[in-house]
Amino acid sequence: MATAEVHVHTPITQPTKKKSVIWDWMTTVDHKKIGILYGVTALFFFIVAGIEATLIRIQLAKPENAFLGPDVYNQIFTMHGTTMIFLVGMPMAVAMFNYIVPLQIGARDVAFPRLNALSYWIFLFGAIFMNFSFLLGAAPNGGWFGYAPLTSTQYGPGLNIDFWALGLQALGVASIMGGVNFVTTIIQLRAPGMRLMRMPLFTWMTLFTSFLLITALPVFAVALFLVTFDRFWATNFFVMQSGGDPMVWQHLFWMFGHPEVYILILPAFGIVSEIIPTFSRKPLFGYAVMVYSGALIALIGWGVWAHHMFASGMGPIADAFFTISTMIIAIPTGVKIFNWIATMWGGRIQFSTAMLHAVGMLITFTIGGVSGVMHATSPHDLQQTDTYFVVAHFHYVLIGGLILAIFGGLYFWFPKLTGRMMNERLGKWQFWIYFIGFNVTFMPQHWIGLLGMPRRIFTYSADLNLASLNMLSTVGVFIQIAGVAMLAGNIIWSARRGRVASENPWNAATLEWATTSPPAEHNFNQIPTVHSREPMWVEADQVRASTLGPMEPHMHMPPNSYWPIFTAVGVVATFILFMTNIWWMPLVGLVWTVIGAINWAYEPV
Amino acid sequence: MKIHSWENAFLAAGATVLLACGAVLIYTTVVIGIHLPGDHGRIDPAQVTTTPPFDAPGVRQLADGRYEAVVIGRAWSFEPAEIRVPAGVEVVFTATTTDVIHGLNVEGTRLNMMLIPGQISQNSYTFKEPGEYLLICHEYCGLGHHMMAGRVIVEEGTAGVAATSARTDGEVR
Repeated sequence: MATAEVHVHTPITQPTKKKSVIWDWMTTVDHKKIGILYGVTALFFFIVAGIEATLIRIQLAKPENAFLGPDVYNQIFTMHGTTMIFLVGMPMAVAMFNYIVPLQIGARDVAFPRLNALSYWIFLFGAIFMNFSFLLGAAPNGGWFGYAPLTSTQYGPGLNIDFWALGLQALGVASIMGGVNFVTTIIQLRAPGMRLMRMPLFTWMTLFTSFLLITALPVFAVALFLVTFDRFWATNFFVMQSGGDPMVWQHLFWMFGHPEVYILILPAFGIVSEIIPTFSRKPLFGYAVMVYSGALIALIGWGVWAHHMFASGMGPIADAFFTISTMIIAIPTGVKIFNWIATMWGGRIQFSTAMLHAVGMLITFTIGGVSGVMHATSPHDLQQTDTYFVVAHFHYVLIGGLILAIFGGLYFWFPKLTGRMMNERLGKWQFWIYFIGFNVTFMPQHWIGLLGMPRRIFTYSADLNLASLNMLSTVGVFIQIAGVAMLAGNIIWSARRGRVASENPWNAATLEWATTSPPAEHNFNQIPTVHSREPMWVEADQVRASTLGPMEPHMHMPPNSYWPIFTAVGVVATFILFMTNIWWMPLVGLVWTVIGAINWAYEPV
Repeated sequence: MKIHSWENAFLAAGATVLLACGAVLIYTTVVIGIHLPGDHGRIDPAQVTTTPPFDAPGVRQLADGRYEAVVIGRAWSFEPAEIRVPAGVEVVFTATTTDVIHGLNVEGTRLNMMLIPGQISQNSYTFKEPGEYLLICHEYCGLGHHMMAGRVIVEEGTAGVAATSARTDGEVR
């Protein structure tokens, strides 16, 4: 897939100089190329995590199975969760932020193009580092939530937890930088006339997600540093006997972990808010309320974390508070779902593949939302916590919510990325097969959980009478694999042979459709002035006169730079070198980083 | 700010759902009597086996006629692994852990609590039906997590009669 896009892009971005294609991609600061790099990497890890999920389901297909063994099983389920969240969900969303947001707001690039490249390379090296652990047979095995004191050297000897804590630390650095970049871009680089309340919903959701990244990831960074210090320098933050407290980890982790859930789902809301109006041929219903509800979700998302800890004995006041706050957050979420339905109401709906994914997402996300409110009811939660019911719930929210929306967004924006349409007929087959496979996998898990099967167990007794439901769930995984294979085939085929796309093949309303498919490196020949929320519906001719008109005379695009990738090596090495257990070794990475940063600062742009 | 009348209706629908959730919450807490586990003091995890009541894990009758089951969780077993209690009497589960975080969940009941190093967790439950209940660790605790299980055997018994007088062939199922 990557090569196909290289052919599309190279002649446009490097018209005069002859450079190696690989070197060009390694040093690129173009938001569109970085978006594609994020997307391809995330799709790769989606397949990795999918293989892990398949192994988990094969192991659980029948009771007392010995397919994997408990040690391997624990590594696989830990890495499945960690990979899906940090190496698939977040980067897939970031891929779309990168490619789409500067185009949607009428900008030539993000505010800090080199920082953007640095984010990607840190993310990639951190991801490779964490997965390298598989080669040593020491993949992280403490669960993606890594509850102390299981992550201490006493109960978690070996390199497993080191890979986890240090790898995630690197990924967090990348995410924080990305958040800073997108907040600045959206606040500063909008086209003339694009007031905040004229921004497309996807840009709004990117803004809220970026604020959450900037605020939530540092909490996680602190928590991970405490674990790292406990492991390498024998501090005692989570050791009860020395005055520490393991509950500190749980609070810090979920203070990050719940905003993280909204970091994952808000981009999905943004994507769906673009697809549904386009294929209903109606402006989004209740634009202002959609924006405010997004803001409320991001804000209240900070006040619900301890609903993950109802079984820990926090006391009645905390339990009551987090029950109520969790129920309150369901209101803005429900408002969004109603507004999407109202957008479709009375519209001329066209069920393209993208629209099918968006509508499918509404259904599965609502099911996940309802089971979420069930958890919010804390007495009820005690029946469900740590059972497969919870697994079913968050897969409905994250796969049925986020991943379906991402797939829909891929069909929607693919013509813009490559200049070619994806195959709609194959796409519709893929949607139905994946949608059915998804439900066959995760719907039975509601019952598996309510009938008493705990999460994170390597195997279960035949006495539980859960063999047939578990087998059904495993069968669903293979249906999903067929769907994903069709999607991968569609991407590869369409990138080469798909029907050539026009500038605005869906007749959508926002600015990314005002330029060529794929856009030139500078995105727009002239930056358009907008006067409405739907420029390509209301004022398409004036907009296109600028975006496709004569070139602006003095345009300066940032040149390629190798300092981001150089600096990224230093940042990730700083964390990796902790594993040498020599106290000054991380400083080597730090010095490397500083050298990169100084050269970066003095590089002429 | 102008709010569309349909949106007002949606907001009202959302608020109604919220009130319904609140009603369910009050019902489950007050009428059904489901209470969340609580934090009942601190304990040094290294000294668990010498600190009362954990120096003598097992079931005992309290002065007010209730029973107390004192349970220690450790990787990867419960002590005692078999808990015998009479039916129809409130049983207070007092539990802690000596190493990592564990869970104490009696399948098919609302007894589900986290065992945290340094914390004594407590919750109570009245088993109405005699029978054998599965006791499992509900919080991922490492390699042997899936094997960490025990049994609660609820015996036919009269309230106030000590557990020692209960039948020994109490396994009903």
